Amino acid sequence: MQSSEVVIETRSLSKVYRDFWGRQKVRALKALDLEIQRGEIFGLLGPNGSGKTTTIKLILGLLFPTSGQALVFGRDATDVKKNERIGYLPEESYLYRFLNAEETLDFYGRLFNMAAPLRRQRTADLIDMVGLGWAKRRQLREYSKGMTRRIGLAQALINDPELIVLDEPTTGLDPIGCREMKDLILRLRDEGKTILMCSHLLADVQDVCDRIGILYQGELQELGRVDSLLKVRDVTEVRAAGLSEACQAEIREVIERHGGQVQTIGNPTTTLEELFLHIIRESEAHPGRRVRGGAGDAH
Amino acid sequence: MPIETPLPHLSEWFASAALNWLAVLVILTLAAIVLGFLVGVLRHGPARGFGAGLRTLRDAIGDLTLMSPRRVGALTWLAVKESIRRRVVVVFALFILILLFAGWFLDAGSNEPAKLYLSFVLSATTYLILLLVLFLSAFSLPADIRSRTIQTIVTKPVRASEVVLGRILGFAVVGTVLLALMSVISYVFVIRGLSHTHEVVLDSLKPTGAAVEGKARPMTGYTDTVKGHRHKLYVDSSGKGYVDSEYGHWHEIETARSGDKTTYVLGGPEDMLEARVPMYGKIRFRSREGKDVDKGINVGDEWFYRSFIQGGSPAAAIWSFQGVREKDFPEGLPIETNIEIFRTYKGDIEKGVIGSLSVRNPKTGLLVEVKVFEAKEFTPFQLVIPRKITGFSSADVISSRRETPEGRVEFSPPQNMLDRRLAERKEFDLFGDLVADGQVEIWLRCLEPSQYFGAGQPDLWLRAADATFTANFFKGYVGIWLQMLLVIGFGVMFSTFLSGPVAMLATVGAMIGGFFSDFLTRLSMGQVLGGGPFEAIIRLVRQDNLMTELDPGLRTTAAKMADVVAQGGLWVIAHILPPFTEFNYADWVAYGFDISWDPWLAVPTLRAFAFLIPVFVAGYFFLKTREVAQ
Repeated sequence: MQSSEVVIETRSLSKVYRDFWGRQKVRALKALDLEIQRGEIFGLLGPNGSGKTTTIKLILGLLFPTSGQALVFGRDATDVKKNERIGYLPEESYLYRFLNAEETLDFYGRLFNMAAPLRRQRTADLIDMVGLGWAKRRQLREYSKGMTRRIGLAQALINDPELIVLDEPTTGLDPIGCREMKDLILRLRDEGKTILMCSHLLADVQDVCDRIGILYQGELQELGRVDSLLKVRDVTEVRAAGLSEACQAEIREVIERHGGQVQTIGNPTTTLEELFLHIIRESEAHPGRRVRGGAGDAH
Repeated sequence: MPIETPLPHLSEWFASAALNWLAVLVILTLAAIVLGFLVGVLRHGPARGFGAGLRTLRDAIGDLTLMSPRRVGALTWLAVKESIRRRVVVVFALFILILLFAGWFLDAGSNEPAKLYLSFVLSATTYLILLLVLFLSAFSLPADIRSRTIQTIVTKPVRASEVVLGRILGFAVVGTVLLALMSVISYVFVIRGLSHTHEVVLDSLKPTGAAVEGKARPMTGYTDTVKGHRHKLYVDSSGKGYVDSEYGHWHEIETARSGDKTTYVLGGPEDMLEARVPMYGKIRFRSREGKDVDKGINVGDEWFYRSFIQGGSPAAAIWSFQGVREKDFPEGLPIETNIEIFRTYKGDIEKGVIGSLSVRNPKTGLLVEVKVFEAKEFTPFQLVIPRKITGFSSADVISSRRETPEGRVEFSPPQNMLDRRLAERKEFDLFGDLVADGQVEIWLRCLEPSQYFGAGQPDLWLRAADATFTANFFKGYVGIWLQMLLVIGFGVMFSTFLSGPVAMLATVGAMIGGFFSDFLTRLSMGQVLGGGPFEAIIRLVRQDNLMTELDPGLRTTAAKMADVVAQGGLWVIAHILPPFTEFNYADWVAYGFDISWDPWLAVPTLRAFAFLIPVFVAGYFFLKTREVAQ
């Protein structure tokens, strides 16, 4: 996980959407500099229209940058060769609804030029992994949203990718499905894969991401390790156990005196939700690039 | 079925056509590269734009040459699946439905039922298949881009070239399967629809001619009326029966006797569905003054296909044939003509105009008038010149006379070499006297003064052989198949950068332009009367006719200069649009002509693929340089 190999690198990556006449419509991304290392789970956060999906699409080569560059595995993002090592789960599973699960996976396997026996093996394994064995012969049009997410994930993994790009991976999943998805993301990370995800569900990001970047109006407002970012440095948290009822009122002064057992003393962490809302509010109050807080980019 | 522009043979055509193709391709490629770099520089600045252009070119070489068959196969399979999901079967059902009801509106009483049936099935199939693939190809990729399913494709290691080729191949597979099914069903429909027999109306049999001792008297009568016609029946003295040819066919008759009762059983229609193999000659004309000229008289017909010869004068239309071998024509020379008549007075319109056909030996000059016949408008005339010619109307020995550009008169054969005694014989041998080294001339003359015959090169031919109708029928469908491939190619190409409806309109536009590509080519070469588009506008506004010169002046000069530029553009457009009419073999099949492999099948097939390749490459570039997620 601590390998220093850079998987994704963006250099002053900018995107301006223009209309038919070439007039500027939206400046969706402004000079994004980002590095994502091999083996980490990186989360992109931001409100709607902040440039998350644009960033992902630029990295995948689905959009072309207006200026700057996106490199994946050292190759330009528009180079199709990089795709051999990438798995992509789009925001909604944009799959062919007239195919069934087996046909879908076999089709995407063929796009990776995989031989038939390998395709059959991977298809069977992945259908088993996402728990859709009972519905593998049904057309995707008959699938529920959760089932579609699962088969979407399976197609993203058909090539055993080194980099997995997940756009809102838990959307549409029930709590159990969410938990399974998060466990799977962690397991994939443990297998040495790099994961780039974006999500609105901050709890999910908090649970799984090693590092996050927060985008607002096309600009990167915050970047750093999740545990560092969520640390509240000017507050000390004491967690104690085995205290009597009477002691609790005077606890701050008398813990040591009453011989209670101090379990942890340190900086409490806030929730990602609070951090996120704080950054957004601050960005709204002071438009422009925000001087990033002390969390730093270090691992 | 006039063939206005005869095709050269494959071997003669290929080298120059390939060069022409390469020239157009190089011009278009250079233009596209320059345009691409300009757009890149305008959008991204000089350095970045130029770099992007170079990168695109470099990628293109790999993308177009290193396609993976497995990926293309997968995308083809997807296009087939998608077509099935889009209910292409409905088109097939519609086709069956049209055939089921066709019996109501196909006139059984038509005097050319085979032509009617064949034209009908070929056009019905053409329209249905072309409409189907038009919709499939124009809407598929835009639908994928709109529904964003394309995003899961292009984020795999799929080249844009594979996406375009997979689509083209997929729809081609669907179209081909449907077309094959439709062709088989059409064939059965035609055969069953035309199949019929008659019964002899026994009461109509009447003895005719004089009775001969010991032999039965010949009889004539009629068959019953089936499919709007009946045949005249002859029974000769040996009891064998024959029927007249009616509505383009005749029937075999089997005669059976039991006691004193005779029964006649007619078989199915014969010679109704044929695939004649014509052998064409080279046409020249003989003027009223007896000189050889390239063109006959212009009677004011806007259609330049035929030119005319004056009746009651030495004028003649002359077809020179080569390679006429005895082994190929053991029964004599079967001649078929289809000439136009221009009457300067109406006369008895029911009656034809008298003309004659002669055979001439180009080496000796012996000219034998073998047949005087009554020519009728738009009625094909057939004649077999027998090996032994006895019943001719006149014979002569004449030289053909041609003036050289320098004004000298040349005779062929020279007049002092003419042997006039050749014409004094009572009997001629076709191959001995009239065909010299496989060369023979057929002369057509109009014998009525003040009437004219019009003829073009393909209006008289030797019926060299008969090919099988079944093979010819399916060759006709190859033409539809080629049109289908072109529509798919253009549809997919336009759909890589246009929305579905616009791509469809653009494809229809390309098809319509393609139908007029011959005219556009002539316009671009300055061969159309009235000048180019700008000159035509002046003539329209000033109500000038096409023949007068425009008044000299600045306006005329400016218009002519603008036309030179416009003609360059028209030349390019005429060359990038496929000549759709060239792939339409419906007339060949319907009129009963064999679609020869070389050149009529081979050249258009190569042409179709010559168009498909650049269309595919253009589609690739449009998709490659497009942001599919926007």
